[in-house]
Amino acid sequence: MRKRLAALATVAIMTFAACTSGGTASPTTGGGASQPAGSTAAACTVGVSWNNFQQPRWAAHDKPNIQKTVEAGGGTYIDADANLVNEQQLTDIDTLISKGAKVLILLAQSNTAILPGLKKAQDAGIPVIAYDRLIEDPGVVYITFDNVLVGKAEADAIIKKVPKGNYVLIKGDPGDPNASTFLPQGWDQAGLKDKVASGDIKILNGPDGTFTDAWKTEKAQSNMEAIIDNAVADGTKIDAILAENDSTALGVAAALTAKSYGYPPLSGQDGDPANLNNVALGRQYVDVFKNANELGKAAGALALALCAGTKPADLKLPSGLVDPAVAPAAGLGAQDFKTPNGTMVKSFILQPTPLTADTLQKAIDAQQVSKADLCKGVDAATAPAACK
Amino acid sequence: MTNLAEAAPVPGVQPPARTSIRGLIAQTEIDLRLFGMLVVLAGILLAFNILSGGKFFQPTNMVTLAVQASGVAVIATGMVLIIVSRNIDLSVGSLVGFIAMTYALLMTDWMPHLLGMGPDFPFRWAIALGLGILLGAGFGAIQGFIIAYVGVPSFIVTLGGLLTIRGLVWYLSSGAAVSGLDPGFQLVGGGALGSIGGTMTWIVGVIGCLAIVALLINGRRQRRRYGFPVRPMWAEATLAVIGCVAVIGLAAFANNNFWPKGLAERYATQNNIPIPAGGLLIPTGFPNPIMLLLAVTLVMTFIATRRRFGRYVYAYGGNPDATELAGINTRWTILKTYVLMGVLCALAAAIAAARLNGATLDVGQSYELYVIAAAVVGGTSFAGGIGTIPGAVLGAFVMQSLAYGLSFMGVNSPGQNVVAGIVLILAVGFDTFNRRRGS
Repeated sequence: MRKRLAALATVAIMTFAACTSGGTASPTTGGGASQPAGSTAAACTVGVSWNNFQQPRWAAHDKPNIQKTVEAGGGTYIDADANLVNEQQLTDIDTLISKGAKVLILLAQSNTAILPGLKKAQDAGIPVIAYDRLIEDPGVVYITFDNVLVGKAEADAIIKKVPKGNYVLIKGDPGDPNASTFLPQGWDQAGLKDKVASGDIKILNGPDGTFTDAWKTEKAQSNMEAIIDNAVADGTKIDAILAENDSTALGVAAALTAKSYGYPPLSGQDGDPANLNNVALGRQYVDVFKNANELGKAAGALALALCAGTKPADLKLPSGLVDPAVAPAAGLGAQDFKTPNGTMVKSFILQPTPLTADTLQKAIDAQQVSKADLCKGVDAATAPAACK
Repeated sequence: MTNLAEAAPVPGVQPPARTSIRGLIAQTEIDLRLFGMLVVLAGILLAFNILSGGKFFQPTNMVTLAVQASGVAVIATGMVLIIVSRNIDLSVGSLVGFIAMTYALLMTDWMPHLLGMGPDFPFRWAIALGLGILLGAGFGAIQGFIIAYVGVPSFIVTLGGLLTIRGLVWYLSSGAAVSGLDPGFQLVGGGALGSIGGTMTWIVGVIGCLAIVALLINGRRQRRRYGFPVRPMWAEATLAVIGCVAVIGLAAFANNNFWPKGLAERYATQNNIPIPAGGLLIPTGFPNPIMLLLAVTLVMTFIATRRRFGRYVYAYGGNPDATELAGINTRWTILKTYVLMGVLCALAAAIAAARLNGATLDVGQSYELYVIAAAVVGGTSFAGGIGTIPGAVLGAFVMQSLAYGLSFMGVNSPGQNVVAGIVLILAVGFDTFNRRRGS
């Protein structure tokens, strides 16, 4: 009995030593003693600073998957929610470090305001993962979905469905680079620009489309109503609508309903349950969905690897952890990514999943939506496979 | 203020000379402010029509514009009373969002799962609407109580309300969009099915015309009875003709808006109606939200000008101390203005939710700004005591006609905001200048 205790103590001390090079003891590291002695590096504390839990996805998908992956690897998960306040996020980072975090995962509220916190972590020798939002610093590992690819997936689906005709472009907030730059880049990569140049596609609402203040659903609806009225007055038919995200697509679908216009193919992204329901109802053609579960798993695995001392350049996602359809197109190893300011960071850029009526089952499998919500009001006769 | 002018006995005052156009208009006792706003509105519509090469001024487009303005206009009628009594309400947008989300959750979640009222339960939409109105009145009563009885400035209370209530919307749905309302409820939002139809529109038009004539006759009789000067007969006749032509004209205009082709054809095949060569033309008539707005405007005007409560509000706004010294329960009056506001927010929320067929986290966001702008453009003064309800409704139409027109022309929202801001300042500046010159 005494021998066993002593052995346990030794392991505990070893783990402790391995995990407290920063000097502060964490009460949770004791839990590492129950882990096999061989994987001391895995017994580490991963601190996550969320900028907000107001959007449901973070608490529903990202957090539990990071936590599960970290804990499955023998680590400890701690986190803090900054509630959309920059100062709070800096305080949170301090707290996480003093609680013994050995790796930080940051979802930055602002990619500039977070820099003092980043410096503090780096001074303490703590590696940082920039989660979903870029932080401009060569030291971070950046993990996200490719927003250009999201735009490409939206336009791929719509252009394949409607290769020629009159398009309406509904964009998001004019101040958001996703709305004005990245997503439209993806549209152009899918061939929108060439088809406009060749005359196959005509854009009804100006060359740049219509922006939507703050991505507001109501605003997208009233804009779309004016566009429909204009098209009807001209006697032109709207053949397809590219909407950048789901909140605007929801407004577009409401406008089409209010005008009893019928439902030309419409795009969106985010996999919001209300929009997935619209896909099932045939009111939205495609919803490009960023599977946050996979992003969380990947971040958790990378955090454990960093904790074990792996250099960012040598990071590799464990094979089989992330759904191959979502895993980075460039392979499982870290890739160089050039930020808009020209900094090179190591990155993992995951692929989005386009969901159409035929592939809605994926949304149920990812627990993005319940079957009841997905199939609400869907007519049994015309229901997609996922609703049968 | 026309109403005060009507009520005040003016023996010995000579009717204005008939020599100038201004004199002629004065004899008809038309509210020049309202008349001016109608001219401005017509000017804006005409300008857009020219700019768009004649595509703009069509029944379909005007119906869209009117429906888009209806929510803000409904709330603006209440904002008039609040601003007239020297208060403000910044929480209306958040309250609209909260109640819209409540409607959506009631019909999709709470009613079927908590209250055991499935989708087939009769009049679910009406029950939801009733609960929303109670909720609005409740929120209004709380804010009104703190303002009137505790004495916290209304700006602060309703600013707090703006933040708090918007935060509560998030807790209702965890930020998710909720959709799929009852078909009955969706009719509140307008559209081809949510309109009163061709026949009803003609009936409404005729009733409107008869009502105008009846009001004119009754007014003339009452004035005779109490020895007030009456309008010359030609002025009465002109007003009756103009009023009737306007109302019947609006009905005819609305009846020139037809069901969308696809919907009409589906309806025809379902009911075995042969489709004529020119297509099946089913007139939509006035949309429901406009009928709701019309009812709200009439009731609110009645309350403001013909009920004791309304007169107290204007009296308080004109001189709070004198009103209190006159023994009027001013606190109760102020509280009631906020309750009324809450009810109007519930109606506007119904329009917004029905139009969206659901609710999102941001429904109603920045309504407070549009509503205050509509009231102020419509001639409501922050100094208190001045403002009319039809003016605020027209103000809402002026602001929305700009937003819709620019949107129709393909101007993006930053440009729309620039124009809306400039018009707001111009309208109030012009008004202030006019009042100073008049006094």
